[in-house]
Amino acid sequence: MKLKVYADRMSQPSRAVIIFCKVNGIDYEEIKVLISKGQHLTSEFAEINPMKRLPAIVDGGFKLFESHAILIYLACVFPGVADHWYPADVAKRSRIHSVLDWHHSNLRRGADTYVSNATIAHVAGRPLTPQAAAETETLLLSSLSKLESFWLKDDGCFLLGGNQPSIADLSLVCEIMELEVLDEKDRARLLGPHKKVLQWIESTRNATNPHFDEVHQVLMKVKERLQYQRLKAAKSEGGSDMKKPLLSRM
Amino acid sequence: MKLKVYADRMSQPARAVILFLKLNGINYEEVRVDIAKHQHLTPEYAEINPMKQLPAIVDGRFKLFESHAILIYLACSFPGVADHWYPADVFKRSKIHSVLDWHHSNLRPGPVTIVRNTVLAPALGRPFNPEAAAEGEKFLSASLSKIESIWLKDNGRFLLGGNQPSIADLSLVCDIMQLELLDESDRDRLLDPYKKVQQWIENTRNATNPHFDEVHKILMKAKEKRHNQRLNGANNGWGGPEMKKTLLSKI
Repeated sequence: MKLKVYADRMSQPSRAVIIFCKVNGIDYEEIKVLISKGQHLTSEFAEINPMKRLPAIVDGGFKLFESHAILIYLACVFPGVADHWYPADVAKRSRIHSVLDWHHSNLRRGADTYVSNATIAHVAGRPLTPQAAAETETLLLSSLSKLESFWLKDDGCFLLGGNQPSIADLSLVCEIMELEVLDEKDRARLLGPHKKVLQWIESTRNATNPHFDEVHQVLMKVKERLQYQRLKAAKSEGGSDMKKPLLSRM
Repeated sequence: MKLKVYADRMSQPARAVILFLKLNGINYEEVRVDIAKHQHLTPEYAEINPMKQLPAIVDGRFKLFESHAILIYLACSFPGVADHWYPADVFKRSKIHSVLDWHHSNLRPGPVTIVRNTVLAPALGRPFNPEAAAEGEKFLSASLSKIESIWLKDNGRFLLGGNQPSIADLSLVCDIMQLELLDESDRDRLLDPYKKVQQWIENTRNATNPHFDEVHKILMKAKEKRHNQRLNGANNGWGGPEMKKTLLSKI
């Protein structure tokens, strides 16, 4: 029985799991569970994951949720997964656990909160006040800064000085990709100062393409649509109000 | 060179690591880093952990932080650690990873938010914030409810239906113990609806005593001190009758 992956490609951790499966040639069936339609809240999906979150997998009779747990399971269980994804060496592996743990309360919380707030503001047609925006971006900026100065401080292309990507690179880069849905200037302001981070995103993308781009297609379509809406709002009468508070903080 | 553990026993994840070491007879040196005295913010400590958080370990030249990563490292690196702490079986191990990951964004923020906005606020140089504490309570209740109905749904004495504790039990129970700092009545009110959770805390304590009680002594002393201060009626900034009224009014 084929591995089943319950995912929404708008979900950062879902993308990490799908890219991992594709890059490693793992045979799987992707079952779309659309968050925007509330499909993750159904009683059917609760049978798969009672926490009602994505992603989740079912491998034969074995169910599992939490993307880091899933990535580790897949790396251990499927033959042919190269060691660099989740090294057998205890010290290397422990450092990967350390990044993955740090991620939850730092980059993930920071990026997710910032993007959620910015998106809510966009949809409501009500921009974030400069104060609200500043509060939500503090954790995101501090996380990007720690990536730049610590997790990427060594000479490799990837986290922890690696010359090849690990599951940590996949997880964290997929998270940062969520920032693509922001206003282009906002995204540039947040990421621009972090040269190593930008290079690392590109390295991870190159190491996992064409799958990386393919899996991010849904997100990039949403990005395009939002950009169009912003341009339209800016051109129409009084529409420049949307852009002002974000721009005024540059 | 002996393993060094940088810890403050007022920190929940630090307690989980120390407890694990004691239970498994791992030889270590505990280096106290006092959070209340801001010792975790010094440049010396940043050499150990640039994230300036506790716990951290140094094993020979190998440095590591994040308590879950540390617990897994210790289980894998030291001989004689029984399998139930971190099973070799990939399915059991994956379920433990799942709980530990869930913990970060679910159980962990609850007690932390309540305690740092009320009883520990003065020590942390923060204002009392009953609204934030009330949010923390809602969050905690949602998490306790999930532990009760999902993680403890099977018939074992521990998480995931286990009959012996794993590193996940240590980590989560140490977090819930932080609620000991609250008024007895608040703590009871928060935990009362969750019978399985209360039983599980007791099971974990029994399975890991006398070390559990020993490692939690400093927390219990802080609890006692607060209790005496309240009895003496002092409005000492730890949250006297006014704080209690505000918290109760949120029910």
